[in-house]
Amino acid sequence: MGARAQARLASFGGVTDFERIFHPRRMALVGVSSEGGAGFANGMLLACRAIGFSGEILAVNPKGGSFAGHTIFRSLDEIPGEIDFAVIAVPAPAVPAALEACRRKGAAGAEVLTAGFTETGTPEGRALEQQIREIAARGIRVVGPNCFGIYCPASGLTLLPGADLSRESGPVAFLSQSGGMSIDLAHLGGWMGLRFSKVVSFGNGADLREAELLHYLADDPETGVIAMYVEGVADGGDFFQAIRAAAARKPVVVLKGGLSEAGGRAVVGHTASMGGSRAIWSGVLRQVNATSVASLEELAQACLAFSHLPARVFRGICAVGGGGALGAAAGDAAEAYGIRLPAFASDLRARLEAILPRPGSSAGNPVDVANPFVPPAVLGQVLRLAAEDDRVDLQVLISLLYHYKSQARAIGAAVADITPFAELAETVAAAAADTGKPVVMVLPDLMRGPENLDLAAMMARAREEFTRRGVPVFGAVGQALRAIGHVNAYYGRRRAR
Amino acid sequence: MPDDRITTVALLLEQAAARGQSTLAEHEAKQVLAAYSLPVTREILVTTRAEVAPAAGAIGYPVAVKASSPEIPHKSEQGLVRLGLADEAAALQAFDAVASALAGRGGGVLVQEMITGRRELAMGLVRDPDFGPCVMFGLGGIFTEILGDAVFRRAPLEQADADDMMAEIRGREMLGAIRGLPAADRDALAGMLIALGQIGLDHEGVAEIDLNPVILAGPRPVVADALIVLRPELPVL
Repeated sequence: MGARAQARLASFGGVTDFERIFHPRRMALVGVSSEGGAGFANGMLLACRAIGFSGEILAVNPKGGSFAGHTIFRSLDEIPGEIDFAVIAVPAPAVPAALEACRRKGAAGAEVLTAGFTETGTPEGRALEQQIREIAARGIRVVGPNCFGIYCPASGLTLLPGADLSRESGPVAFLSQSGGMSIDLAHLGGWMGLRFSKVVSFGNGADLREAELLHYLADDPETGVIAMYVEGVADGGDFFQAIRAAAARKPVVVLKGGLSEAGGRAVVGHTASMGGSRAIWSGVLRQVNATSVASLEELAQACLAFSHLPARVFRGICAVGGGGALGAAAGDAAEAYGIRLPAFASDLRARLEAILPRPGSSAGNPVDVANPFVPPAVLGQVLRLAAEDDRVDLQVLISLLYHYKSQARAIGAAVADITPFAELAETVAAAAADTGKPVVMVLPDLMRGPENLDLAAMMARAREEFTRRGVPVFGAVGQALRAIGHVNAYYGRRRAR
Repeated sequence: MPDDRITTVALLLEQAAARGQSTLAEHEAKQVLAAYSLPVTREILVTTRAEVAPAAGAIGYPVAVKASSPEIPHKSEQGLVRLGLADEAAALQAFDAVASALAGRGGGVLVQEMITGRRELAMGLVRDPDFGPCVMFGLGGIFTEILGDAVFRRAPLEQADADDMMAEIRGREMLGAIRGLPAADRDALAGMLIALGQIGLDHEGVAEIDLNPVILAGPRPVVADALIVLRPELPVL
């Protein structure tokens, strides 16, 4: 833990009770308006109910009344007994008093959704945030202000616009300075097959923020991969120590926003002119063996690979697809990340050729299966045979399922009914399990548009069949290999250190 | 002794700040580097014409003659660097030109050994607002700016960090045995990068260090030119 965080903890002699923050049994929602009102706190109450929050919800508003069957307490003090956690969504000037009342009620923490603090750039905003910091130092941990809050599938805490997020837990944690990024990844991850341990949108980060949360997640047994979106850090030294310690234990994937070149700095020498924040951040992230990504999609794909693949380096792969160009694309992408496609020996080639459709197929590596309609059982056999090559550590199967649309049209059937995606998922998962060599699926999705909504629905179901069996799915071969490249870089460098 | 080098450099920086300098002249910068065991050119600072021939004789021909002034951070752009001077006549002629261009500005004239090598690297130190002193390594000479092939690490650097910087630059093959040139002395390069970070950690008053070029004389890196920028807003420690 960094010096600042340690000093702050020591100042009230407490150990932060993250258990009561992420899995509260009694939670106050401060700022719920009576029937007919529609504030953030009302939205949060409905979202918590929709997702099935497992604890007790206690609504608070000085005006009293009731909302959605909850009697609204006129003050926190009226609530009998202690609370574990609170969501505060009252106007900014009222936040310090509400927070102090939560502290007196024994809350371990509170998230402040309200905006109108330091981010406004006004003296009033800064002063209010300073008050939050002072109250926090007396013994309540604060997430926010100006944030979307916490999503924790295990307890059913959810982000402000997160009524429809999954209750299924998984290994991915996400720390985000941006509320929008937090909900975007939660939704993106939902259909991609990412499952979350904890998502924390910490906004202005008046109290809890990147360095301390990294220390917590590094120790958190529910978290196997840490992702983060960061714009600026409160203390570069604390952050450096925290992320280095975390990355020594589990993968840390970082999307840095707001990178600029040296522009604004006074520059005399060449070194400073080259040392803009982009170059420095890039160097620092490599120094601590964090995985640096350039977009939220790349972050999600890296998390998918980290959370679905074993913790190791994949030096050699086999690529299987229908069409020579797909194989060439796989080979080119693999080379860019230092991954080999070893050429198969002649006896293995012969055994592969015996089961591949003729003509048009090629039994080298990449394996060209000639057309997109090869039965799943044959593809399963190809995967099992290719896995016999000791140099193959992982296989990439590219399947152009959208071509089934033309078959469906020809016979007047629904595309979802004739595409054997469930059988393929079953076969692939079994081949991966039996051979001990993971299979990564690539399901390109090139036919879109209003006339292809049936395909979109089928592709979504296909993806789900694979991901629920633990087979990661990517939309393009380049994305898959980039994600595998991140896994290789992380474990390769961790071992080297 | 590490303590000695901190004291030596602190004194140099203090004196420069007291004179109102915003940068160190090349010769002063080299003294800072030498205190931290970075390999620098052999050189003698002269102020009069009469000193030139004995200095060049002691260094050995060919020599370089350069302005060494805190007021001229980028001297090659102003024609104040004369290289490959083969004899006394050439050295004296170069001195006359540099000294007259320097007239009225502080500093002196450096008579310096010529480092010959076909590979030029760059190293440096910058203070990042988030991460404090960060060390730079990249290709040197005119390639520094044209190719932008430079990487950074936060100080303090470990050996593995320095090794990784050499593996990360796009021009990393330059450090290997290529075209009849020997492989660069990586341990020496790593030592220099680690030492640069240490200077940044030990001396708050150093805002920036620019070593360009660092020439590979065979396998051996030598700092041929150096600029140290001081931090005006802080008292020098």
